[in-house]
Amino acid sequence: MSDIKGPSDLEKEVLKQKLCVACGACMGLCAYFGTFQGKVVMLDSCKLIQGRCYAFCPRTTTDMEKLRLEFFDKRDFLPEIGPFRGLYITRASDKSIRTKSQHGGSTTALVELAMKEGLIDSAIMTCSNGGLNPSGMLVSKPEEVRRCSGSSFQIPPSLMILNQALKENKYKKIGVIGTPCKTLAAYKTRSKPFAENDHHADNIAMVFGLFCGWGLDWVGLEKVIEGKTPPEKVKHIDVLPSKYQILEVKTRNGRIEVPLDEIYPIVRESCRYCTDMTAEFSDISIGGARSSKGWDFDRGWNQVIVRTRKGEELLKIAREKRILEFREIESENFDKLKKASRNKKKNATQNILKKTGNGNNLLYLDPEDPGLKGLLHSAI
Amino acid sequence: MVTLKKDPLNLIITGVGGQGNVLASQLIGNALVAKGYFVTIGETYGASQRGGPVMSHVRISEKTQCAPLIPEGKSDVILGLEPMETIRIIGPYGNPNILVVTNSRPIYPLDVTVGNTKYPDWKVIRAVIAELSQKAYFVDATEMAMNLGTPILANIIMVGALVALKVLPLNREDILGVLQETFSTQKLEINIKALELGIETINNKNN
Amino acid sequence: MSIVNLDAPGRTVLMMGNEATARGALEAGVMVATAYPGTPSSEIIGSLAEVAKEREIYVEWSVNEKVALEVAAAASMAGLRAITAMKQNGLNVACDYLFTLGLTGVKGGIVLVVCDDPASHSSSNEEDTRAFARMGDFPLLEPTTFQEAKDMTIYALELSEELRTVVILRGVTRISHARGNVKLGELPKDHRKPYFDTSSPFTYSPMVQKHSLLHEKLNKAKERFETSPFNSYEGPEKPDLMVIASGTGIFYSREAVTLMGLEDQVGILKLGTTWPLPDRFLGKHLARTQKIMFVEEVDPFLESNVKEVWADLAPILEIGPRTFYGKRSGHIPIVGELTTDRVIEGLKKALDEVYEPCDPNYSRRAKEVTKEFVSDRALGFCPGCPHRASYWAIKNALKLDDREGFLTPDIGCYALARTASGFFLSKTGGAMGSGTGLACGFGKLQEFGFDQSVISVCGDSTFFHAVMPALVNAQYNKSNFVMCILDNSATAMTGFQPHPGVGTSAMGDPAPILDIEAICRAMGAKVEVKDPFDLKDTTETITRLFQDREGVKVLILKRKCALLKAKGEKPPYKIHIALENCVGQDCGCNQLCTRIFRCPGIIWDTETKKAKVDEVICVGCGVCTDICPNSAIIKEET
Repeated sequence: MSDIKGPSDLEKEVLKQKLCVACGACMGLCAYFGTFQGKVVMLDSCKLIQGRCYAFCPRTTTDMEKLRLEFFDKRDFLPEIGPFRGLYITRASDKSIRTKSQHGGSTTALVELAMKEGLIDSAIMTCSNGGLNPSGMLVSKPEEVRRCSGSSFQIPPSLMILNQALKENKYKKIGVIGTPCKTLAAYKTRSKPFAENDHHADNIAMVFGLFCGWGLDWVGLEKVIEGKTPPEKVKHIDVLPSKYQILEVKTRNGRIEVPLDEIYPIVRESCRYCTDMTAEFSDISIGGARSSKGWDFDRGWNQVIVRTRKGEELLKIAREKRILEFREIESENFDKLKKASRNKKKNATQNILKKTGNGNNLLYLDPEDPGLKGLLHSAI
Repeated sequence: MVTLKKDPLNLIITGVGGQGNVLASQLIGNALVAKGYFVTIGETYGASQRGGPVMSHVRISEKTQCAPLIPEGKSDVILGLEPMETIRIIGPYGNPNILVVTNSRPIYPLDVTVGNTKYPDWKVIRAVIAELSQKAYFVDATEMAMNLGTPILANIIMVGALVALKVLPLNREDILGVLQETFSTQKLEINIKALELGIETINNKNN
Repeated sequence: MSIVNLDAPGRTVLMMGNEATARGALEAGVMVATAYPGTPSSEIIGSLAEVAKEREIYVEWSVNEKVALEVAAAASMAGLRAITAMKQNGLNVACDYLFTLGLTGVKGGIVLVVCDDPASHSSSNEEDTRAFARMGDFPLLEPTTFQEAKDMTIYALELSEELRTVVILRGVTRISHARGNVKLGELPKDHRKPYFDTSSPFTYSPMVQKHSLLHEKLNKAKERFETSPFNSYEGPEKPDLMVIASGTGIFYSREAVTLMGLEDQVGILKLGTTWPLPDRFLGKHLARTQKIMFVEEVDPFLESNVKEVWADLAPILEIGPRTFYGKRSGHIPIVGELTTDRVIEGLKKALDEVYEPCDPNYSRRAKEVTKEFVSDRALGFCPGCPHRASYWAIKNALKLDDREGFLTPDIGCYALARTASGFFLSKTGGAMGSGTGLACGFGKLQEFGFDQSVISVCGDSTFFHAVMPALVNAQYNKSNFVMCILDNSATAMTGFQPHPGVGTSAMGDPAPILDIEAICRAMGAKVEVKDPFDLKDTTETITRLFQDREGVKVLILKRKCALLKAKGEKPPYKIHIALENCVGQDCGCNQLCTRIFRCPGIIWDTETKKAKVDEVICVGCGVCTDICPNSAIIKEET
């Protein structure tokens, strides 16, 4: 509690340090934060010494162990990929979901199912808008879930919508869907750091995490696309497996390949300091499948990590009601996943140490975090 | 005929922009000029419309025009349309012999209304003004003005108070004369009422 | 019934210095009067405008001071008497033509009245415009009393007509805006008929010859000044110290001497004609004593010039060495305004005297009390002022743009952008039109890697005065910035004088309305017009305009000044606070409305710890309802 500071510190430690991932956890709580072109800015400081903005932000220091112990079973924790109760390869059975979705459409199918089953009464989602300039949205009807489906490599501050919904206290079982930064913020919110103001955080019922390597600068991506095709024609964006080094852009007329060399410069700086690839704070995390079958096969499937009993329950219903199709997991799958996840942690810690130039300054990382074990020493 | 106790006699009228400070000083000044006195009025009112203080230095002499600003420590009478402004003037221009007449109603500065500072307590204001003057009078001019229909009449009530105190070589008729010259028939009556109210208040206090 | 027009010769009335000047102009038969509003000079032409029709004269609010001088000069060339009045900054604008006018000469008397503002009560600088008289070779007069303000105006016009050159009358705030006794003279009955004699043109070439001629005129003025009643000596025959003073300096010196009881030791030489200096007159008095102290407003003008006279005359008149006290020696401050107390300090030092205004214990206690109980009255925008809304939108847009953008403001009420009420947005300061001029400069630095967003702000009156050429420059040189025109249909700061955009003339007649939007479009600029009270739309517009990095983008934020609505119109909304929604000082707000937005209509109630509407001050504009994050401010249509 004493570690929680206020907005002036948030500006100093996160915004000015280029750590801000524009998740929106600080927005929608007051009038002091705004957003434009995918960035979060502080309009004024409320000058309070402690604030929810600082407490919920995923880039202020967090006692990771404590947070995990509060919401997950201690025994489930794996240092490479977080709390783990099972890994699956799935895709939505309904083909119409798959035509629009980024990969297998499992996220859409699961969120829709959760809503139909009453596990959630609403969902905070990122609406793809076809591929460019996505927006955060609150959906409260299962049929609206599909409309949000699609790929996004720009990350809108959708947690602003979560905060507004919590304030309103109308929806009591909110599902939060988001990239790892957002899911961490959602859990920090759930931990109710202020005794006198719980922000109705118990209204968050389920969290769905999305695997993430990085997000792109909004203006940067628009400029790169503009150079190749009219942005309004973009339907779908995806990053192919690393061996291809391609960002694939599908338009109404066809398909364009953008070399990742043009994309790396527009990766958001804050993403370079992110250690979480698999959204380690969630009930279920979903990403694109990576197997020996190759991209043309994998592109239509998802990897799904279950982290809690609630997540297990949902997956069970999905299987029973044939909402999802399941595929066999190969033995190397798990290792490959752990390796990729650990790689992101390694890169992040190295980037942070390069930035601070000081082995004792890890910015927001918790040096006691068992997930970073072994990485801090090797990096120095 | 020497009618001034002191030459020049130095009066400062102080308040906040919009209170009719300038009008009050003009009324007094015009009345005195009509009686043959030299009157010099210096005013500081830069951007007073937008919340700032206004002070009028009114200097009365039988002999000559004077500097438009009263020197430090040399005021004789302070007519305060607002309590904090009264204290603000006493600081540099007061001396142990001053007579102070002040309105009781505060106009809060922005710093107070936004919650940054507190406006001094009325008891404290009274005590401090009494301490720093030879004689002090406190008039609820704004309240009386609102009873007459509008707070803007407070300045005329205060002019009445000043007349009743007989510190200036002016009487009721002198002010009535300038009121007649200044106001249209519609507004004249209420201004006369205000003047009478101010005179009455002081006379009641003295009895 | 204006006092300036009172037909009562011989009567003594209480008049403002500016009114006395105006009265002097009328008595001297002035038929054309021009100005651009500028505190502390505005009332000169303002009061003439009120009586113009009755007096059958022409009075104009010109678009700027240079044109004002030119219009007055034209009248003079046609044989009429004219007056033009301005503040010190106005003379800076007019001086280009002024110097030429010196060479071309004039015909009908013309007086240029300049009102300096020492200590900058209502200006951006303090400036001593007497330097222009010396620079341009013009006779200069400085009134001390209000009677002199009138009498010197009359004399100036007579002298100007006799010598065929402009005469400058220089006053300061403490004369312009102060009031004193003025004995009225006769008002003229006839008017002259204007005629421009083409056989006697007003040209400036051959220049050197014309310049010589100008110096001849100046020498003639000097001769007149040798015996002028405006110069005089008072005090002992052989004082220990002689003060040489002009203008308000005379009053302050007299009072200082009286308060210190130095009537037998200190003499005062009053100068009312301060350029060219009457050197024979001066020489006579410089012989009185060895110690000379100069008391004048702003610069050591008399100080330097009298020292020159002494240097020339000393050997001839056998005047020995002198000790000169003044601004150069530090006896009189070289910055700020003169006061009796400052002169007292100077005399104390020069004569090694002591002086206490009153019991020092009292002074100390009084100052203690003031410090403890008195707080500043910060300047801010009036309740309902559209500038507050405009600046709120600009502040947020600059933050959303996130490129360390900044604001370059101009002169007017909106210059309060430098205060908390203007969210400390001002990052530069300048003269009329400079905000846009500076933005033109910043807007060309892109090619060197400059990426910060720049927004200039000016008002409607300022637009006509000086900003139009800057817009031409921006458009022609393709400078990248947002040019924001805050059109509140008023020249508010100086007192609501009409301007070319409002449809009325100085004399109250209907006037063509010059449409700012149309003018900007005619220059080929990209133009948008928005209502600043629509905070969301305005913020989004400005943020969007910042993304366009090509050329100047004009944004007109149009809404009438709150003070224009004061009479008769009823407030559009009644505002109250829904206390149950007010978050107050907690996380989620912390007094956004009172602490940052700062409209005086909302106060912080320290008892309830919630916001409260001050019903006396609130004008019901409704803008505050859009800034509250919790919908606690409610507006109801009246």
